[in-house]
Amino acid sequence: MMGLTIAIPKGRLGNKAIEILKGAGVGSAIDEDSRKLVFNSENQSIEFILLKNSDVITYVENGIADIGISGKDMIMESSGDFYELYKMNIGRCKMSVAGFKDKKAFKDDTILKVATKYPETARRFFNSRGQKIKIIKLNGSIELAPILGLSDVIVDIVETGNTLKANGLEVFEDMYDISAVIISNKISYKFKRKEIKEIIELIRREDSNGQVN
Amino acid sequence: MNFLKIEDEMKYFQRMFVLRKEIENFLYKEGYMNIEPSIFEEYDEFTSVNSRIDRSSTVKILESNSDILILSPDITTGIINKFMPRWDYDLILKIFYYGKTYKHNGTGIKENREMGVEIIGDKSPNIDQDTLMTAERIISRYSENYLFEIGNSKFLKGIMMACSFNKEDYDNILNLLYLKNKQELSDYLSGLKYREPMSTLLNILDLEGTYEEINGKLEGLYLNDMMKTSLEELKIIDEHMKNITDKIIYDLSMVSELSYYDGIIFRGYIQGSNTEIIKGGRYDSFTEQFGIKIPAIGFTVELDELLKAVYKEG
Repeated sequence: MMGLTIAIPKGRLGNKAIEILKGAGVGSAIDEDSRKLVFNSENQSIEFILLKNSDVITYVENGIADIGISGKDMIMESSGDFYELYKMNIGRCKMSVAGFKDKKAFKDDTILKVATKYPETARRFFNSRGQKIKIIKLNGSIELAPILGLSDVIVDIVETGNTLKANGLEVFEDMYDISAVIISNKISYKFKRKEIKEIIELIRREDSNGQVN
Repeated sequence: MNFLKIEDEMKYFQRMFVLRKEIENFLYKEGYMNIEPSIFEEYDEFTSVNSRIDRSSTVKILESNSDILILSPDITTGIINKFMPRWDYDLILKIFYYGKTYKHNGTGIKENREMGVEIIGDKSPNIDQDTLMTAERIISRYSENYLFEIGNSKFLKGIMMACSFNKEDYDNILNLLYLKNKQELSDYLSGLKYREPMSTLLNILDLEGTYEEINGKLEGLYLNDMMKTSLEELKIIDEHMKNITDKIIYDLSMVSELSYYDGIIFRGYIQGSNTEIIKGGRYDSFTEQFGIKIPAIGFTVELDELLKAVYKEG
């Protein structure tokens, strides 16, 4: 069996992913409490690397990791070349357009100011609607943008909607369903197809067992 | 390529020189004739012949008479463009060339060195296997850890035609196949009006592996004549390549970036390298736009990538 390197994002999504990997019987080598970033399975057949979630794609695309777990939001935003082999049940949320309750219309003749962490995805979405927009790229606290008058609407990940509500905003429209996806380097997939499929099957079983939410 | 030291740069170019000569000598001995491809192409002519080419990535040059030229992004298109208008029906050309292609890649102009092989006009039945074997003999010279991926574009074409999708659906489905995204493909198809071949389209992503593995999964699937022909062609190849079956995987969902492939398509990889080293396929229908359909097949060797892979290994 050829060794596999799996890229896992740190943080909330990564913790859920590690839980699933452990449940599937492959992730016991990972110690979340350690500050180490690389873990090897006992028989050395799998190497796990813990990365910032936005870097998972980069590592997979460049073949440093064979497969990786990444949010669909990151995937849509990247223009990378890799396979999307399995959509998981974890990390489920929506990417939505949101704004002030009373200012409901976002389709009009003016140029709409859109604040977001996802400029490419937002641009594609509004393009397909024929809505002219100006993108304001932010890195966090997106909800602030309409409140402080930086933008008309925001495009962001919405899980419960609580943060929006607390800031007086509401969802105008859900754009895309988001969840974690197992991605694969294209060349790795050719050489290690059996190993990759095997591990995805193990993950799939565990993932569809307990994690449907 | 950027080097800090001149010595390193010299080393790189000497290695490239040797690599190139080795492959050229091999091809010359095999009876291929050398040609020198043109660097410039006419923009309008080129894009009208090869409609799938990404126009924005071409490197344009303004001529003094304000004609637009481009630096060749694909040498095969240039060769076909040059020869087809003067083609004699009985001509058989076995050619090889060393050339550079140019594309904008977002950050600047990317220059790519490649060695190409084209066999044009040969109607004999073994050409697919012979071409593959030539490609195999080149790559196996430089690495034991290589792999060929072989598909047949007629299989996908056959099923897509049977489904008669509109342009938008066609492109979206092709893209999902390209990503091997079975779940989204399934969601997408379930939103379309049901047609019988669609269930087979969903299964096409499982049609990969050895020829026997694929053959075992075909039962119950929708197969029209074009798809059957494509399987037949792969079977013949498989029989001819029995001695290296562990180096071959078949993938019937293979989607090519180049629109002109029509029949067998293949790619060669070396383990540890993150790009294709060899890519090629049959492109008879490409010649057809010039009036007559001439059998044509070819491949290119990415020299920069091959060089990197060779020196990474050894």
